[in-house]
Amino acid sequence: MGNTDGSDWVRLIVGLVIVLAFSQLNALFLVWLERKVAGHIQLRPGPKEVGPFGILQTIADGIKLVGKELISPAAADRKLFPIAPILVFMPVLVGFLVLPFSPDLIIRDMNVGVLLIFAFSTFSVLAILAGGWASNNKYALLGAVRSVAQNVAYEIPLLLAVLSVVLMVNSLQFSHIVEAQNRFWFIFVQPVAGIIYLICATAETNRAPFDIPEAESELVAGFHTEYSGMRFGLFFLAEYTNMFIVCAVATSLFFGGWNGPFGFDLNIPGVVWFLVKTYILIFIIMWVRWTFPRLRFDQLMNFSWKVMIPLSLANLMLTALVVKFV
Amino acid sequence: MANKDVMIEKLRSMLGDDAVCVDDKYGAGVVSAATAPAAKLVEALGVFKDTGFYLETMTALDFQDTQEIVYHLNCFEPMSRMSLRVLVGHGVSVPTASGVFTAADWLEREVREFYGIQFEGHPDPRNLLLPEDADYHPLKKDFGKVHAYRTRDEIYG
Amino acid sequence: MRSMADQFREPIVERVYTLNLGPQHPSTHGVLRVLLDLDGEFIVKADPVIGYGHRGHEKMGENRTYKQFLPNASRMDYLSGLLYNHGFVLAVEKFAGIEVPERAKYIRTVCAELNRISSHLLWFGTYVMDLGGFTPFLYAFDDREHILDILDRVSGSRLTYSYCRFGGVCQDVDAQFVDTTRSFLKRFRSRYHDYDNLVTKNVIFIHRTRGVGVITVDQARQFGVTGPNLRACGIPYDMRKIEPYEIYDRFDFEIPIGTKGDALDRYRVRLEEMEQSCRIIEQALDRMPGGPFWNEAATFKVRPPKGEIYFGFESARGQTGYYLVSDGTPYPYRCHIRVPSYGNLHVLTEVLRGTMMADAISILGSIDVVIPEIDR
Repeated sequence: MGNTDGSDWVRLIVGLVIVLAFSQLNALFLVWLERKVAGHIQLRPGPKEVGPFGILQTIADGIKLVGKELISPAAADRKLFPIAPILVFMPVLVGFLVLPFSPDLIIRDMNVGVLLIFAFSTFSVLAILAGGWASNNKYALLGAVRSVAQNVAYEIPLLLAVLSVVLMVNSLQFSHIVEAQNRFWFIFVQPVAGIIYLICATAETNRAPFDIPEAESELVAGFHTEYSGMRFGLFFLAEYTNMFIVCAVATSLFFGGWNGPFGFDLNIPGVVWFLVKTYILIFIIMWVRWTFPRLRFDQLMNFSWKVMIPLSLANLMLTALVVKFV
Repeated sequence: MANKDVMIEKLRSMLGDDAVCVDDKYGAGVVSAATAPAAKLVEALGVFKDTGFYLETMTALDFQDTQEIVYHLNCFEPMSRMSLRVLVGHGVSVPTASGVFTAADWLEREVREFYGIQFEGHPDPRNLLLPEDADYHPLKKDFGKVHAYRTRDEIYG
Repeated sequence: MRSMADQFREPIVERVYTLNLGPQHPSTHGVLRVLLDLDGEFIVKADPVIGYGHRGHEKMGENRTYKQFLPNASRMDYLSGLLYNHGFVLAVEKFAGIEVPERAKYIRTVCAELNRISSHLLWFGTYVMDLGGFTPFLYAFDDREHILDILDRVSGSRLTYSYCRFGGVCQDVDAQFVDTTRSFLKRFRSRYHDYDNLVTKNVIFIHRTRGVGVITVDQARQFGVTGPNLRACGIPYDMRKIEPYEIYDRFDFEIPIGTKGDALDRYRVRLEEMEQSCRIIEQALDRMPGGPFWNEAATFKVRPPKGEIYFGFESARGQTGYYLVSDGTPYPYRCHIRVPSYGNLHVLTEVLRGTMMADAISILGSIDVVIPEIDR
């Protein structure tokens, strides 16, 4: 706590306000993007009536959600049921504090930045479990239990992949990691870790083909079956914000963060590079969602425990050997 | 020898020659129609099963003087459909065929709920299509709107 | 007052819980309720509950003349409505001895095969959607819209048809019908490759369907399974070849069969069937003669002789049969319809045992049941 003084507090508060605004706008934009991408892949135009190119569609949907009645099942847990959506959303916002948008646009460049993001993202698993349990609904419970198993299984290779990068840079601080990529992005040095990270990130955010916990055709709506109105909206927003965070971390760790390719900035500010790369990754994740069918749950778990973890362990050991002796 | 010929032989030997009529021209969609008494029903169906037939469908007919259950069986060879008929009076029960063909499980449930014919030994006599608490038998000719209620001879005489 | 320790030492006897794959569910096709007894993820017992769509078609059949019952036929299995309409008309024509002009036979065959393709396309789209791939659904429906437009133009309806009448068809087809159908065939064949690449060769799809929901030939015989489900087990049983009706014996087409009887085989069989239907349509269009299209005079009073008939034909889901008993009047005495989905659904009580919840959805989709035809 030693160096906190007035300017730091101001920086924190302003940063929080900007983060809140940005995350809402980002979720708005991503929902619209998802629907447009889905539409065009499916040979249809997507939203185009509300506002130019349908941009205001999400706002209309948001107003609709806010206006809906908040229905709670009679037998739901009185305390946990309303809290679960809030619990899902809060940790995601914390992640924004350490994201390296550009050299001077990090709200708090903590020296354990990477650790912070992943520690807080685990909270959302608890919140999903709470939501599924509190709903007093077998479908919701099944969805929540599956979500927990999936998240736990895919966090391990995720962290191992991240560790490979951390081992190379010898620091958990985001700005150091990004600065170390000012010549070559780490995706070229650690391709295996990069791909493992992207796959696990898709699984962590419950996106297809790993969206069993909310599998529409199997479990009605999985863990958020019983949620209506803005509570459902919060789950929804949390998923898209989580997607942004996960892709932003991928950009920082593997794709150079605020650096241009091979160190050439082309006079474009770092924050633009960062955002462009993040949104390209988000687009790829969306693309995958609308292309592939869903994996069965045990196939999903097999894939994680029998393929991903050994691969990421091997990668980590190789990195360790190279770092030590080269 | 085709399955159907083997089957006709067996039926003739089991039920007697005049209970089996054969129509090679497939005029009525069946190559043979056999009538069996209720006591020999399960045995006859067992013979069908052993010769490789499957139970296509089962339905009932309601007449003034009697009720009749018709089984249609077929096998995987061309033009081999055969029908087996059992005459039951109103209120008489019939042994179940679900031990021989599992398809009869649901088919008998349907016949029971629509015609009121009881099947002895049926493992699960719930209603299939009608609501659980339905106590009426819709396809009987004394229920609802009925166009014609005839005796069996008027049609098959 | 038991202590916490005592509570934990009690063995868990009741592991099995009941889950209701309720009447309102995105992937039960129609209103189907399956009571599942689950042990964790594994199904211990599956009990389908049907009857939510019972409309009393068989009772209606006894209170309407043959002509009045004609629209009912389509509404039982609305996805292959024209096939059911065609089958009913064929049954009554055979029963009452009504002659049909040659041109009408060819027209009816073309329309019936188009309907079969559209039914299989809908099944394809919804099956892959159940498995989580949302996109092929829209591609399949795009193709299906073309078929529906062709049939709409010639018959006036998109889903439930009364186009086939006793003695022929109610309206003639013109050159535009032939041209549009030919161009549809060309387009559809090129799309076929898209479906293959997008779905059939997709690794995740293969993992979800290979070895899943195997139906043995013995089970098929026990439960009366027919249609593509039976053909996937390796038995080439298709009513169009086994008991040729209409003019199917004049066309050159094959019966695709599978080997193992799992969901992947059922999928492949149906995809192949669409291609074979295209072949039949082509040959029929090439050979269609001119002449009258409706023997209307013979159908003034449809009064079959006393007796009965059972007419079996191949609908999109399997063997459908019309069992008609006539007492000499224009009203049937009994009108029983044998539906293929009956046996196809019934076999699930055995096939679903021991599988996982996610597989249950895959198996249910691959069987291709339409519940309203079971409920009648």
